[in-house]
Amino acid sequence: MSEELAAALAAEHAAVYAYGPIGVRLKGKAVDQARDAEAAHRSRRDSLVLLLTAKGVDVPPAAAAYALPFPVTDEASALRLAVEVEERTAGVWRAALPATEGPERTRVLDGLTDAAVRATRWRRRAGITPATVPFPGRAT
Amino acid sequence: MRSTDTNQDTGLPGRSRRELLRSVALVALVGATGALTGCGLFEGEPEPPPAPDPLEPMMAGALDLAARYEAAIAAFPELADRLRPVAEAHRAHATELARVIGATPPPATAAPSPASIGGGTSDADVLRELRKAEQEGRDAAKKACTEAPADRAALVGSIAAARATHLEVVR
Repeated sequence: MSEELAAALAAEHAAVYAYGPIGVRLKGKAVDQARDAEAAHRSRRDSLVLLLTAKGVDVPPAAAAYALPFPVTDEASALRLAVEVEERTAGVWRAALPATEGPERTRVLDGLTDAAVRATRWRRRAGITPATVPFPGRAT
Repeated sequence: MRSTDTNQDTGLPGRSRRELLRSVALVALVGATGALTGCGLFEGEPEPPPAPDPLEPMMAGALDLAARYEAAIAAFPELADRLRPVAEAHRAHATELARVIGATPPPATAAPSPASIGGGTSDADVLRELRKAEQEGRDAAKKACTEAPADRAALVGSIAAARATHLEVVR
């Protein structure tokens, strides 16, 4: 159970990191959207740290830096990375669902759902259609 | 005294015999019923049907949502670009749920919709109704995910999340 939650924490650390380079390439309302997304990832990260600590699990620390899957050089690549970060995060949360139950599973589902909703918002902003996928978090 | 004793003597055995006979008859009846139950009468009865799968309402809900979107697209073709992917997602959910349940897969294409949209309804009304249905479906899926066994949690969770994303595009 804790292994999957630790993976979710690692994904949230990486997401918080990625919104740094994403944010600086965006303009206007997209900047606010990125700021909100980053705050949501920080909040998920913090509650996971508390949960894992309460379970007596060694909490994986954030890395100093994360390798981005592609360089973020302009608005288009920033939006593409934002979509990818949310899709990856959704995948890690989804993988934690079978390992949890009860209120903990509800929290994990909230992690998956929020990431899926943010991925949809970023696809809309990037003009990607369709903006939704049938099975968020599932490898395609 | 003696005659009374005699009367009692002759009377009691008489009652006892009747009671004995009645008891024997009852035993015979119970025995016969028992034999019928055991051997023949109910042997041909079918097994009671298994309890419905807990995901069946969710599959029916996915098909209902798909039909609602398809009816909306039929009434307002200009909404098709936005609504078609959502309708298809609901059908894909129903297909996956059927596979997990072990049910006959629902038709991949739309059945003629029984719930066509009446004239005089605006596209804003239709979208509002779709949002309401989607929100209810999302809540139901969230609950189903919490209650699902581990091997179904990821699928049901993805469906719950998908329904939440639909609310982003249906507005």
